[in-house]
This record gives sequence, structure tokens and C-alpha cells, in this order.
Amino acid sequence: MSQAYRESLWLFTATQSLHLVSITTFVGAILIVDLRLLGWGLVRQSLARTARSAQRILLWAGLAVLATGIPQFTANALSYSRSPVFTFKMCLLAAALVFTATLRRHVTVADEGRLPVWVPRAVGAVSLVLWMSVTISGRLITFYG
Amino acid sequence: MLSIVPALEWIEGLAWTTAIRESAWGYPIIEIAHVASIVAFAGLVIMMDLRLVGLAFTHAPLMQIQRRLFPWQMAALVPATATGALLFVVDPLRYYGNIFLGVKLSLVALAGINALAFHLMTYRTDGQWDEHPQVAVRAWRAGAVSLLLWSAVIVSGRLIAFSWFV
Repeated sequence: MSQAYRESLWLFTATQSLHLVSITTFVGAILIVDLRLLGWGLVRQSLARTARSAQRILLWAGLAVLATGIPQFTANALSYSRSPVFTFKMCLLAAALVFTATLRRHVTVADEGRLPVWVPRAVGAVSLVLWMSVTISGRLITFYG
Repeated sequence: MLSIVPALEWIEGLAWTTAIRESAWGYPIIEIAHVASIVAFAGLVIMMDLRLVGLAFTHAPLMQIQRRLFPWQMAALVPATATGALLFVVDPLRYYGNIFLGVKLSLVALAGINALAFHLMTYRTDGQWDEHPQVAVRAWRAGAVSLLLWSAVIVSGRLIAFSWFV
């Protein structure tokens, strides 16, 4: 499969294009909830409902990122495994995913009145920084991988 | 027939554009800032478009989604445009003949026209325009077109790097 993938320019382009659009959609779904956690954006809607809708998007877009990312990875697995930048990005990604699936999720479904005001704000800020860092480190691979 | 090339050569020859172009960090920093702003901008636009086509955030009235997200989309669009302009200015002759850049900018213009047309239409009807049957149809169309156009912008942006096609 890696061979076919490397040799077909069209396949590579199509897969990478879908990958980029899925990443953008994923980050968009993250941002809309992070903004809400920070007290901006869709303030007239409940955090929980916005987060629930965004979560569906995260799951679908995440699946698409994975599906389109794997062919790209396996086609260059050897060089990626040797790249410290790639390793760094993957660690950052893992941290972001864990944070999003645990602490952030807990805060988004909790009753909005019950947590001190600074908690959702802090969570939103951390999430924003984490996910934008993942995005940035992804690009760094191209330059310094 | 006036050629723009001498002007671009002049820009390329400037001390500051040359300095950035020849530095190790200049291009990566600008390019990464460009990509990050685009991801933020397009990501929020896609969220709004998903609402417009009725696939997500359906608990939020259309008007609110648009009004509340718009300032943030613009906040991301400003650095996206600035870094994009900077990328071009720092290496103008490299990008001048690039067909994918031309395609990308045309698509951005089309997407802008689509957004403007929808804005003008919805702000003409007052109050509860969410319930207006006409609005629902136009909203769906505007959202679908927007999704297609911005996806195409992202793809064409990626293809700019494949300059050996040109």
C-alpha cells in the first residue's frame, strides 16, 4: 500500500487534501468550545449543548484525520520514526487528546453554576494553547523534521 | 503592455525582504503563522457552515451563530491575510507565476462574495428571520457553497508548494 501511495500523485494529493480539511474541521470544533469556555462566542447557548454538538464533529473529523493520516504515515514511517520533531508532535497530540477527553470534557458537561468561574476559563485557555501548539508542531515537521 | 515583473523585482531587491528570504527562520515563522491563522479562521467558518446546512449546533438560532462567530472569524482572518501578503512580498517572483496561488485567491474572492450575498440577504429581513422559509433554503445553499469553497481554498493553498507543476 505504501508503495502504491508513494507512486500515485493523485492518491497522495487527494488523501492529503482530505487530511487538511479534516484537521481544520477538528480544530474548528475545538475552538468553538474553547471560546465558549472562555466566555466568548455562543454565550447564549448552554456550554453543554454546544460541547455535545462539537463532540460529534470531533469524533467524525478525528476519524477522518486518522484515516487520511495513516497512509501518509506508513508511506514515510522510517523517516518519521527518526524525526524528533515528529515524536514531539505526537507526544503533544497525545497530551491534548487526553486533556480534551478527560478534564475538558468533565468541565463542559458540568453544571455551569457549580464550578468557580476561573475553572472553565483556565481549561479553555489550556485547550487553546495545546491544540494550536499541535497545529504548529505539525507544520514544523516540514521544516525541521 | 505593462509588466508587473520590474516592480516585483524591485520588491525582491529590498533589504528587508531579502533579509527575511535568506534567513533560516523567517519563512518558517511567517508560513506557520499563516497556516495557524487559516486553520482557526476556516475552522470557525466550517462550524458556522455546518449550522447553516443543519448538521450541527441546531440548538442555536442561525442569526446567533453568525453574529457571535463573525468577530472571531475576522480576528483570525486579519493575521491570515497579513501573513499571506508577507509571504508573497518576501519572495514575489517565486509566487507570481504560481497557478495555485491564483486559483486560491480567486476562490477566496468567490467565498467572500458568497458570504456577502448571504449577509445582505439576511440583514434585510428583520427579527425572527430564522423562521422565514426563504432564509432556510438560502442559508443551506450559502453554507454548502461556503463549505466547498473554503475546502478548495485549503487544498489549493497546499498545492502552492507543488510549484514544479507550473
